[in-house]
Amino acid sequence: MSMEDYDYLFKIVLIGNAGVGKTCLVRRFTQGLFPPGQGATIGVDFMIKTVEIKGEKVKLQIWDTAGQERFRSITQSYYRSANALILTYDITCEDSFRCLPEWLREIEQYANNQVVTILVGNKIDLAEKREVLRQRAEDFAETQSMLYLETSAKESDNVEKLFLDLACELIREAKQNKLDNNDTAPMPGEGKTISYLTCCNLN
Amino acid sequence: MAAEDLPSEFDVVILGTGLAESVVAAAFSRVGQRVLHLDRRSYYAANWASFTFNALLTWIQQHHEGPQPEEVQDWSSLLEEGEELIYLSNSDSASISNLQVFCFTSEEDEEEETPNTTEEERGAADEDAVKETSESADLKEEESHQKPEETAARDGEQLTNKDTFDLLQASQNEGEEPNAHQPTPIAAPSQSEPTRKKISYAQLVKEGRRFNIDLVSKLMYSRGSLVDLLIKSNVSRYAEFKNVTRILTYRQGKVEQVPCSRADVFASRQLSVVEKRKLMRFLTSCAEETEEQRAYNGRPYLEFLTDQQLGENLQHFLLHSIAMVTEDTPTEEGLASTRHFLRCLGRYGNTPFLFPVYGLGEIPQCFCRMCAVFGGVYCLRHSVSGLLLERDSNRCKAVIDSRGQRINCSHFIVEEGFVGADRKRVATPPRFLSRAVLITDGSLLPSESEQQVSMVMVPPAAGGPVVRMVELCPSTMTCIPGTCEDLVHLTCQSVGSAYEDLSPVVTRMFRTPESHDQEKRPSVLWCLYFNMADGSGLEAEGHDLPANVYVCSGPDGALGHDHAVRQAEDIFQKILPEEDFCPPAPNPEDIIYDTENTSTGEDERQDREEDRQEDVREEDRQEDVREEDRQEDVRQEDRQE
Repeated sequence: MSMEDYDYLFKIVLIGNAGVGKTCLVRRFTQGLFPPGQGATIGVDFMIKTVEIKGEKVKLQIWDTAGQERFRSITQSYYRSANALILTYDITCEDSFRCLPEWLREIEQYANNQVVTILVGNKIDLAEKREVLRQRAEDFAETQSMLYLETSAKESDNVEKLFLDLACELIREAKQNKLDNNDTAPMPGEGKTISYLTCCNLN
Repeated sequence: MAAEDLPSEFDVVILGTGLAESVVAAAFSRVGQRVLHLDRRSYYAANWASFTFNALLTWIQQHHEGPQPEEVQDWSSLLEEGEELIYLSNSDSASISNLQVFCFTSEEDEEEETPNTTEEERGAADEDAVKETSESADLKEEESHQKPEETAARDGEQLTNKDTFDLLQASQNEGEEPNAHQPTPIAAPSQSEPTRKKISYAQLVKEGRRFNIDLVSKLMYSRGSLVDLLIKSNVSRYAEFKNVTRILTYRQGKVEQVPCSRADVFASRQLSVVEKRKLMRFLTSCAEETEEQRAYNGRPYLEFLTDQQLGENLQHFLLHSIAMVTEDTPTEEGLASTRHFLRCLGRYGNTPFLFPVYGLGEIPQCFCRMCAVFGGVYCLRHSVSGLLLERDSNRCKAVIDSRGQRINCSHFIVEEGFVGADRKRVATPPRFLSRAVLITDGSLLPSESEQQVSMVMVPPAAGGPVVRMVELCPSTMTCIPGTCEDLVHLTCQSVGSAYEDLSPVVTRMFRTPESHDQEKRPSVLWCLYFNMADGSGLEAEGHDLPANVYVCSGPDGALGHDHAVRQAEDIFQKILPEEDFCPPAPNPEDIIYDTENTSTGEDERQDREEDRQEDVREEDRQEDVREEDRQEDVRQEDRQE
């Protein structure tokens, strides 16, 4: 695994109410597809896309909720070790916006302290049905010190930007962290996956 | 969205998210069965759960209060011709008992330790201030467990009327002892480590969401059935693991490291050269069964070890720490577990064990995630009230959920705690495990690295049970990061209450207000005792339930996870004998999605996924998506109006 050709690997996790377009955002970004119903997502755990930013290869591992958000039953382990969270709501659905504080509580509870969170208002192609004003969402994002972006998975508006911005932010943080902790002591919670343990203990 | 109804057609409905249930859920979903997985609780993993400290306090509080009286609804109106209704128990309160909490650390930070938290300085001056700053949910807990005597006096009636909480009794028993919550000799910084910061209760609560505490204490044998299953199924990708770094032993009042790998043996300073040679020879000879060993079948392992001329030191190591058996365990059993230990050694590190980062409660959740990825539907805070029985066939054809919705299913799997007492065939009195969870201020055997995960077997003393102890460090995310604080789990088969069984060991091995002359030992800052039903007795007893209803027991007392994995596999094979149990999920890393050529990834995947049922599932899923789209359109239309 160590042979792979990338400079950074980040785990990005999507959350937000059912039906706000999380899967569409991922599929649009990773495959350029819309709507996602054309290809089944069953059995696909996460999607991978490698992008190049300023000459550095960044591998993004993008995880979707597997439908567990439908009845508010996301496993805590889903949040673990995420580098970034994309908290998504639907600008045409007030309800999905009002649920945001609840999602933030989950993040606070289960996600890593250093996680980068970005708030995304999706479905801007349905501008005429908008229920949540941009200003309101921006203000909310600011109070929670989150980045904010509006997207349309359908029209592919800002989707690329969303993931690339996140990747840039994550690279910046990773470099900062490296500067801050120049010691090689393992970070708390930096466990190893079984496959990694296996390949490192062959001797 | 809270009002959304569940779909009403499933192949398998599963109630309870413990390990066995979750593995079964993943297994069924993986081969294309439609799975509905419910839990009445608001969290995953049932009695296998790991809680943040704050969530653990809530859990304790809930158990003190006892089950919420829930009116049994009458669903008989939902019955159709020829059907019968079996009600399920709506809580599993019987599985946890004798909960006792003691706090031996100061409630507030000592002054020199809080350079920058003005909030807490205020708190130190005025106790109520902290209560104001903590969330209201914590407030009740603080009152109820932190000051046993006060609480008992205030809420005496409430507490004594239930078998769950005998703090009152405990505090009376200790009338002579120093008060549990008073600053005690431990708090005096003059003694052994004047520079060490002592963590206050306020700090534990403040940092409470940054560490996770398991209800069960187990380890994963690196060649055990759980690790094999995690690897085979690819569920392992959802979790991270740490090696258990040391096996310790407790003997004649001393804690020592047990050398178990070849390198350990040679590096050991406790063993003489002769002992090293003997131990290596023994471990090598153990690997295969010999005539000589067979001659000892049925006779105690200790006898076999004695006759090997190993000396007391090695005998002790081999019996208690490596075979982890008792003196009268038969030789063949002792040898089998010695071999298992040796087989697991060196796969991932120099002990045979792994521990999941964030705690054992992650493991059932990982299987649930796998189930969901393959289409399983998840709903916590949702239960099954009853089973609809078809009288002629004596099969369960549907369940009634807690909202009165009828959900058809071909099979129903349930955690034992939800099966009503009237349906259990009780042959033997239920068995229990005694558990203690200690937050301590340091390791039993300090070493250069603070990041040690240790396993300690404490041999029985004075007829008491064998106590198994696991000491966890901050890097497993089970203690406050960046401190020397450790989390210690004690487990044994119950003889008496958890407090009766385990507090003598705690007093002997740690510093508490009851222990004396233990300056060198780590202090206990906070501890919790409780008993949990032992799930290992289930098969023998059985249940009076329809043939297509299967029961999963809760955690057993063994160190490994074989019991739960076996149970899950048995259930799966009874229902789908032809199907593979948890075949590998496709690895997303292998699926290259290319923006230019979208078909590549799909084709690759299709090639691999030749399973016919799988394809059927995919079609179903597509339909679901279309259905969702339709619903969404309807919603949007509604809004437009």
